[in-house]
Amino acid sequence: MIRLSNVWYMIGGNAILSEISLYVGAGEFVCIVGPSGAGKSTILRLVHMEIVPTRGKVVVADYDADKIKGEEIPVFRRKIGVVFQDFKLLEDRDVYENVAFALWATGVPRRRIKKRVFRILADVGLSHKRYSMIQELSGGEQQRVAIARALANEPFVLLADEPTGNLDPETTDEILELMKRINGKGMAILMATHKEDLVRRLPAKLVHIDTGRILE
Amino acid sequence: MSLNLYYSFREGIVGLRRARMATMITISTIVVTMILLGIFLILTVNVQSITKQFRDRVSLEMFIDNSLSPEKIRELRKSLSDLDGIEEVVFISQQEARERFRQDLGEEFLNLLGETPLPPSFQIKLSPGNQSPENIAGVVSRIEELEGVDEVVYQEKLFRFVDRYSRIVFLLDGVIFLTVLLSAVLLVSNTLRLTILSQSRNIQIMELVGATKRLIRRPYLIQGILQGGIGGGIGSIVVWIFVKAVTIRFPSVLKVTPFMILFPFGLSLLLGYLGGTVGIKRFLRAS
Repeated sequence: MIRLSNVWYMIGGNAILSEISLYVGAGEFVCIVGPSGAGKSTILRLVHMEIVPTRGKVVVADYDADKIKGEEIPVFRRKIGVVFQDFKLLEDRDVYENVAFALWATGVPRRRIKKRVFRILADVGLSHKRYSMIQELSGGEQQRVAIARALANEPFVLLADEPTGNLDPETTDEILELMKRINGKGMAILMATHKEDLVRRLPAKLVHIDTGRILE
Repeated sequence: MSLNLYYSFREGIVGLRRARMATMITISTIVVTMILLGIFLILTVNVQSITKQFRDRVSLEMFIDNSLSPEKIRELRKSLSDLDGIEEVVFISQQEARERFRQDLGEEFLNLLGETPLPPSFQIKLSPGNQSPENIAGVVSRIEELEGVDEVVYQEKLFRFVDRYSRIVFLLDGVIFLTVLLSAVLLVSNTLRLTILSQSRNIQIMELVGATKRLIRRPYLIQGILQGGIGGGIGSIVVWIFVKAVTIRFPSVLKVTPFMILFPFGLSLLLGYLGGTVGIKRFLRAS
């Protein structure tokens, strides 16, 4: 489903990633663990096709990073959910609008948007906050909104870049629990984190990375 | 209206409301620029028209032999009309010349002279593009070669004066107008980018969730057109009020067409569209 084969990513002669080979199968939970600057986010950006590898192959579902055309990228991204450490939410809108925005932006018919947003907000436990403004929410709730938005288009994989990086331990547990539940429903998750102790509790395959290389 | 178009409109309008300050700055800039441009366009067109009228008024006077038969006069008229660089030929008979003379100098003066002091003549209007002193000299020498021509008279000094100053006015006015137009285009497109810049987070998120570039672009195009339309509309209204105020005080001083009044509105709509297109392009990462 997601396959990176001997991937190198260079910037100005410096190798950010070297010889990365990684596979994430359908419904699998894979955590990339490593210190800051190890190259975890770069792997996620390669999978999201924001960048292309300098060498090697990145194939996600039927899309090959070398062959994908510009106009295919939006369609490809609808099949992938993404969450970030800083949530990337529209702070001047309420919870409902933040999730509905993703559906509108991808051309989902109006009658289906409301139904789907209500269902997803129920899944992430935010039904009661659907008309709250983003600034009124706690960090954990904001991350739930970001996860709800990522799930809105029913992707086959969820990419999570340090999703608990800005959260306190209690909220971190809640978010990890939510991700476990999402994975339990059959969705693949590729998560990047520097907190190894936390992910050890997850039913996830761990991939250790440092200075752009996967550690044996 | 399709869902996407409905949402694009909604997003466009909501975006303008949210970026209130940037929107206000943009619309005010468009209003001020379009008022300046609209008024300058009217002045430019009027200055050009006055200059043209002045050039057009300059004509040659060709006196002919008093004894020419009507047949010969007709032939001469045809020969003149066939010459290059001549737009219009008007025959002034001796009686008409006398009448003009009487109107200009009075009956008493005419009686004093006894007979008509002026021979029959042709008044020759040159075609546009042939009113330069060099061309006139060429036309005059061709006329003088015709049979029956007595004398060709024209105000050479006036010709040279009009030619020189009308060129200067034309160039100066054209350069100023183009400068104002270019400033308007740059100012409007840059301020439109302000509004887009204030919403860059939305653009980034739309890209993340897989919105097509067309869909991302559309609300910003709508915003550009709306801001351009509102700003240009107000500009056109102010220009119209200016024209009314001037024509009430000084009737028939300005020549104004509906096009001139609507020009700021139309131009700012176009600038709004183009500014929106260019502005959003910079934010869309090449992918």
